[in-house]
Amino acid sequence: MAEAVTPPRIRPHLGRDEWLMGGGLLVLALYLAVTLLIPLVIMLAKSLEDRQGVFVGLSNFAQYFSNPARSGAVGNSLWVSALATLIVIALAFGYAYALTRSCIPFQGLFRLVAMAPLLAPSLLSAIALIYLFGNQGIFKGWLFGESIYGPIGIVIGSVFWTFPHALIILITALSSADARLYEASESLGATRWRTFITVTLPGARYGLISATFVVFTLVITDFGVPKVIGGQFNMLATDIYKQVVGQQNFQMGAVVSLILLLPAVLAFFVERWAQTRQSSAVSSRAVHYQPKPRPGRDWALLGLVSVVAMLILGILGMAAFASLAKLWPYNLSLTLSHYDFSNADGGSWTSYGNSIRLALYTAFFGSLIVFAGAYLVEKSRVAQPLRTATHLLALIPMAVPGMVLGLAYIFFFNAPGNPLNFLYGSMTILVLATIAHFYTVSHLTALTALKQLDPEFESVSASLKTPFYRTFWRVTTPMCLPAILDIGIYFFINAMTTVSAVVFLYSPDTTLASVAVLNMDDAGDTAPAAAMAMLIVLTAGVVRLLHTGLSHWLHRHTQAWRR
Amino acid sequence: MADPYLRIRNLSKRFGEFTALDDVSIDIHQGEFVCFLGPSGCGKTTLLRAISGLDIQTHGTVEQNGRDISALPPAKRDFGIVFQSYALFQNLTVARNIAYGLENRKQPKAAIQQRVKDLLELIGLPDSGHKYPSQLSGGQQQRVALARALAISPGLLLLDEPLSALDAKVRVYLRDEIKALQRRLGITTIMITHDQEEAISMADRIVVMRDGRIEQVGTPLEIYHQPASLFVAEFIGAMNLLPATLVRQGEIQLGQTRLACKINGFAAGAAVHAAVRPEDVVCTGRTNGHANSFQAEVQDMEFMGPFFWLSLGGGELGEHRLRAQVSSQQARELDLQLRDAMHLHIPAEHIRLFPNGYPHG
Repeated sequence: MAEAVTPPRIRPHLGRDEWLMGGGLLVLALYLAVTLLIPLVIMLAKSLEDRQGVFVGLSNFAQYFSNPARSGAVGNSLWVSALATLIVIALAFGYAYALTRSCIPFQGLFRLVAMAPLLAPSLLSAIALIYLFGNQGIFKGWLFGESIYGPIGIVIGSVFWTFPHALIILITALSSADARLYEASESLGATRWRTFITVTLPGARYGLISATFVVFTLVITDFGVPKVIGGQFNMLATDIYKQVVGQQNFQMGAVVSLILLLPAVLAFFVERWAQTRQSSAVSSRAVHYQPKPRPGRDWALLGLVSVVAMLILGILGMAAFASLAKLWPYNLSLTLSHYDFSNADGGSWTSYGNSIRLALYTAFFGSLIVFAGAYLVEKSRVAQPLRTATHLLALIPMAVPGMVLGLAYIFFFNAPGNPLNFLYGSMTILVLATIAHFYTVSHLTALTALKQLDPEFESVSASLKTPFYRTFWRVTTPMCLPAILDIGIYFFINAMTTVSAVVFLYSPDTTLASVAVLNMDDAGDTAPAAAMAMLIVLTAGVVRLLHTGLSHWLHRHTQAWRR
Repeated sequence: MADPYLRIRNLSKRFGEFTALDDVSIDIHQGEFVCFLGPSGCGKTTLLRAISGLDIQTHGTVEQNGRDISALPPAKRDFGIVFQSYALFQNLTVARNIAYGLENRKQPKAAIQQRVKDLLELIGLPDSGHKYPSQLSGGQQQRVALARALAISPGLLLLDEPLSALDAKVRVYLRDEIKALQRRLGITTIMITHDQEEAISMADRIVVMRDGRIEQVGTPLEIYHQPASLFVAEFIGAMNLLPATLVRQGEIQLGQTRLACKINGFAAGAAVHAAVRPEDVVCTGRTNGHANSFQAEVQDMEFMGPFFWLSLGGGELGEHRLRAQVSSQQARELDLQLRDAMHLHIPAEHIRLFPNGYPHG
């Protein structure tokens, strides 16, 4: 037999679809590189340079850790975040357990109340706490002489605003219970406590791990609460602000940023790991668990939920009242005068208008970029390495604290030689930063929605000689509309409430409502600061309501095919 | 014979170190219905995706109707495809689904509407054009997917396990329907399946695949009655495989009996596998009246409705176990009972020999 000759390797020809998809992926990868990767890399480099831009190796780090006044921030950040996390997880687990595993009444209402902090900037809780426990606070005496300005205030304030984040994860973890396991446990004669320890907790363990790391990262990277109520208590996130805004020491800011990056990156990997475990833990044959009434448990849980809900409403209510009281605590008659920011230092209705613009731009362009990007990553047939790289780029923001991103943007966009320098100080850079900051969650939401579509839509479309963009427009997008709307609202509300990334990037022409809260509070105009915070809450709330209405309408009118 | 419609030469597909398709060549003729059959992982899907251009092969060529399409993207090839999951556009009505490939071709609206109407009639769903896919049953959805693929009048129809997601009864019904439709339109069709019954009942020719290679190509009758390898013999239909020794050309020793078989290429004394279909084992009753027969005991009987599965052993078979299929009517006539000693006859032409020591897959 003759020796078999290997035929030449086939080089696939690229059609128009393939060129367009590959081109789109390339553009997206470049976009993410410019708005995310390159700034971060440059910041990394800056931490190794001195003020003159000379490479000095790790000497900045050595200097940082040799100064106990500064490096104390590391320990402070760690223990405060750990304590706040512990409290949040304990409360949120009880709350989630009550909402998923008991028969307490008003579950929908309790769920709604618990989500309310999502509508507020993290600063709001700190301002409310100052009114409650500050120097002129009504409950000042309750602290037994301790000051709210410091770790106590930071912990309470952080617990308030991170609570819903933990709750969402834990509700998901506890909802996916398999009733058969409980029946098996019961029929084997296990006590309720034993069932809880051997069935409930293990079932929720990945949710608990995930929530723990998410909350820890949120607290340690948050800048709003410690800035407003931290007093002289030094934390990493406020330290970056002080280095950069106070002392113009950008190199040291970069050093602290990198230290802050560590727990966030660690949390990111643990969270990803827990997510994959959680989703594979419940088989598709699981039987949904239906709690039966049990008065003892139900009353106890109702008590817990009511107390937590009251505290949340109390803090929101305090902020609302603070924004309306004429002169706290001497004249408590109501007025809207604090909502006229003309006399306040650092805020105006223009800031509010800017925030609305920022939120709208971010929601619009963010959902556009994220959804088209997720589509290319998930559905295109070309350039597998580029798809993987783009997906990894899209995951980075989850591990990057807003402060760090903001500082990285200064280094990158403010560099004299950068052709994109003209963006510095513009609304565009705020939009870019906000989209980048909240990219990951949106990207994952879009991917989840896209993965639910039949993977062969694109193959069918190609076999019917229909360009992919036509199918994207006529099939993929309409079918994913609810998810796209979710992404839009997520961008909008976060753009309204965020402080951390944008605090380094706004200019006199682009002041923002959330930053105005910070600046007015800093200048001692606490009541207008509370008023601005309430404006943000109200706006986010109204948009949330509109979103709910729109979702219902969408389901009724354009999703008829879902039956 | 005319030039083949589809000429596949030396096709290979590698994913890193893994070879999914190994030097596959095959000709498919105009109007033929060909099934790619094999267990999962045998390369049949990879081969189909190479033919469609959805996942282009690393080596080798594909020619369709004399045109070299080896490296073309799917949109530049001429085929329609139907998937196991139907892949119907859920947010479009049945009519819009079927019209999907036509709307892109700048045809007048009336022509498209007429074509959609014809196709709906062709698949027996004339009144379902306004419905959404989720309002149809699985079998109906698959027929819509078929109509959508046929709408653009492709030269080649590819069916990727189209019936696997359906209930057994619907599957059998749709099997006949697809076959009838294919005959009527005369469209060259490739279907991949792991269901040998489906392949046997539908295909003009079957391509049996294993580990990325073609094991045998032939008509259903050839594949069934003249399996080219032990793998094919085992994979298609039920088959007894009995270790035996070739005593001399045309005779094997099986347990304590000697049976005549067809002349074959083995040397005397070779250890072989004797392959016998259960339905080729003839039960002649309690007395012996045939050549090429032996005695064994009925060790197990399984009633299947129209027939019994018999499990035979002992007697002259010794340790060997033989499965036989006996019609219910014959079982009644013979008054078959468990533990009965029976005489069994296997015609020499129904015993096929394969080399021993073949790894079982």
